[in-house]
Amino acid sequence: MPTADRGLSVSGLSAQAGSFTLGPVSLDVLAGRVLVVLGPSGAGKTMLLETIAGLRPQQAGQLSLAGTDITSLPPERRRIGLVFQDAALFPHLTVKENVGFGPRARRAASPDGSEDLLRQLGIAHLAGRSPRSLSGGEQQRVALARALAIQPGLLLLDEPLSALDQPTREDLRTLLQQLLAEVEIPAVHVTHDRDEALSIGDDLAVIVGGQLRQTGPAASIAAEPADPDTARLLGWSELGYGTAASGTVRIGQLVLRHAAEGLHGPVHAFYRPEDVELRPTAPDAPADGSITAHVGRIVHTRPLARITLGCDPPIAALMFDRDIDRLQLTAGNPVQVGLPPGSLRIFQDRIGPLIRRDSGAAGKVRGERGQPSPEDR
Amino acid sequence: MTTTQAKRSARSWPSGWFGVVTWLLGGLLLAFIVLPVIRLVTTSSVASLHAAASTAAVRDATLLSLQAAAITAGIATLFGVPLAYLLARGSFRGRSVIQSVIDLPLVVPHTVAGIALLFLLGRTGWVGAPAARLGVSFYGSQWGIVAAMLFVSVPFAVNSARVGFEAIDPRLERAARSLGASPWHSFRRITLPLGLRGVLTGAVLVYARSVSEFGAVVIIAYYPATAPVEIYNLFLQSGLTQSASAAVVLLIVTLATFLVLRTLASGQLLARVDRAYR
Repeated sequence: MPTADRGLSVSGLSAQAGSFTLGPVSLDVLAGRVLVVLGPSGAGKTMLLETIAGLRPQQAGQLSLAGTDITSLPPERRRIGLVFQDAALFPHLTVKENVGFGPRARRAASPDGSEDLLRQLGIAHLAGRSPRSLSGGEQQRVALARALAIQPGLLLLDEPLSALDQPTREDLRTLLQQLLAEVEIPAVHVTHDRDEALSIGDDLAVIVGGQLRQTGPAASIAAEPADPDTARLLGWSELGYGTAASGTVRIGQLVLRHAAEGLHGPVHAFYRPEDVELRPTAPDAPADGSITAHVGRIVHTRPLARITLGCDPPIAALMFDRDIDRLQLTAGNPVQVGLPPGSLRIFQDRIGPLIRRDSGAAGKVRGERGQPSPEDR
Repeated sequence: MTTTQAKRSARSWPSGWFGVVTWLLGGLLLAFIVLPVIRLVTTSSVASLHAAASTAAVRDATLLSLQAAAITAGIATLFGVPLAYLLARGSFRGRSVIQSVIDLPLVVPHTVAGIALLFLLGRTGWVGAPAARLGVSFYGSQWGIVAAMLFVSVPFAVNSARVGFEAIDPRLERAARSLGASPWHSFRRITLPLGLRGVLTGAVLVYARSVSEFGAVVIIAYYPATAPVEIYNLFLQSGLTQSASAAVVLLIVTLATFLVLRTLASGQLLARVDRAYR
């Protein structure tokens, strides 16, 4: 059971690296729950972990673990297990010595459970091997065992899966899910990968440019991102900029009635490509706000296919490959495109599109000023 | 092992006129190093070498050189490794200034270094005067010789260890700290074993530089004479052929000790040292 007194509590944590400022960040991770910190590269995710672990000086804030204030403790006394992106195993020690390093450094009186851990992670047969001779997945298992061997009060995972190839990553992700559910240690898992975030995380914290944007249960953040950057990170596609006036939102040819409540002036809209509805074109003019488009490219990435649609604004639909034949979709043919209310997220855009369809810096500036609409479904 | 072999066979020699020129220039340089040594060795008969080796003055001088150079290597490593670690890990203000100071002995002429050291360590010097009161004299003593050797060779200890430490992923130390190791513990168990090759190479270079030092040593301690100083004496007193035998003796002894130490440092026995650290 998740309990507050065995968890991690971060309040007002901030740190500085050159001109980059992290925070202030406030987070709570309950025991037995996994918090995924999701953010683009360079958002300060690793810096956040290193500051929590005590490997970087913090400027302000409080850290407490299992009800104890650890703010001023050196890293070796925090009892925080750390797993790096590329394992960072000690190359001059064997697998067994790597896993036994922590208990030995702590002069653990009890016989360490490193043998059990090796078995639990399926690497008992590698005990005598040198880390250099292991595959990426094996190295990461050893790194996990090494971090768990100190019986940590908190586990910090810094993109532990991102250096692995696809099948290994999926194997290890499953193992990690099982393990985290089993050990009941609060865990903070950092990633830039949405699939990973949603499959491992109970809770999400979205961090962009060193600032915490949104925290909460993973499912609710994925469904209701609070700003454009968070929406993009969680798989929402940009529909474009438009205007809201007298009860409707106009984006190109699209007129959305259901999404206009409480919005006025420039807006920035996002949609879920998997929720786009495609129908054969009807002879009578549709009254549901759908538009007619031409099927552009169809990219088969089984089991899904991505269909780009020629319309204003441009829309891409994501659907099961097998549905393409059922809908008789062929490039160049017309199709009726609808966006159901739940597939839209529209943000008030205070400054409007300075540079249209700019994915980089301008998007970030806008993101900070964009406000979520109170109701967009 | 197989990958190293594959890499070796994949490495191709330069060919064509470029290959000829590189071989020619490289070969001339090698000949320039090897020919004087061969000429020196061939001037001396076994009997004359035996005679030189059994001369008390030559023997004492050689032993003094080896001993002082070994002590210097020890001191340079003891004091050089912490500084090397700071330079490798720290991104503090003044880092480049410290690095320049470390490299200073490389550009100072060795006689100049000897004179400067004599001002400091001589009987009226800042360090020499209080030391003299304690009964320690640098001028004309083994301590003076070690000081002179240390000054000219310490950059090798610091730089070699620094390069060794810089090659180590800093995350290994962070991992060690998070696992419960104190800064000292993570240095001793992770950084030092992984950087040991650089540290030992530095010690061997210091030894080699010290054993061959003449300029700084002759100014601070003309007597007791180290081997290079003794050979210079023989050259002045008895001429070229007489000094040659002593020179060959010194050459053989220093070369032998250098090769042994270098083998030790470069891995053959390193694995054992490595294991002893655990």
